[in-house]
Amino acid sequence: MTFLSFFFIVTSLLSFVVAQLILKRVMVSVAESGFHNLRFISSVAVGIFLMTISFFLTLGLLQRFDLSYLYPFQGLSVIIITLMAAVMLKERLTLQLTIGALLISAGIVLVSLS
Amino acid sequence: MQVRPSGFGNPWLQLALSVVCVLVSELLLKRGATDTADLESAWSWTGINGLASPLVWWAIILIIASFISWLYVLRYIPLTIAFPLSRVVDILVPLSCWFFLGEFISARRWIGIGLVVIGLALVAKPIAGIEERL
Repeated sequence: MTFLSFFFIVTSLLSFVVAQLILKRVMVSVAESGFHNLRFISSVAVGIFLMTISFFLTLGLLQRFDLSYLYPFQGLSVIIITLMAAVMLKERLTLQLTIGALLISAGIVLVSLS
Repeated sequence: MQVRPSGFGNPWLQLALSVVCVLVSELLLKRGATDTADLESAWSWTGINGLASPLVWWAIILIIASFISWLYVLRYIPLTIAFPLSRVVDILVPLSCWFFLGEFISARRWIGIGLVVIGLALVAKPIAGIEERL
């Protein structure tokens, strides 16, 4: 794996993680305080924009690597998103959830290493 | 907490639907990307030339469908639970690559798949408790 492919994999991962946090935040606010058009549309637009970047980078990477090798890098997103959701969105995080998320991430990384 | 809809509006059903859409779209993307691969061109790093494949467009439709389901899921299920569960797709993808695309799964990959299954079970276990709270 070259530095360039590593860079694109990380960029794709990070834009995906941030998009998820933004989307969760906006959907929580919809559930709690109803539908605010402008804020909803702008937040979802930012989320979609970030996911689109992630999507096209993934497509470029797919032309170079096996899907079963490449795709599981997103597995790291499990532990990253779980921790970020607890810190930034103040979701309740139990020990069991953390261990579960860690195992999922570790498993996905193992799959991607072979 | 608001009342959680049942039937087609059940967020757990929508989560499953979202996962299936992602799974199928990933397989279509790999086929489409392989069909259109042009590694000489620097632009191909952006993946934009993949749009020449109809399979990629089908995948995009499925991704949009999964996205709508996912937004709906986010309304009802905490991200700390919904997101790890949605990654069941990360073992379904290699398994499908093996089954449908003929890709190879090594012993280490099988162990990884096993770890994910255990992790998923741990994350899924508190769901019963959450359902009671809802």
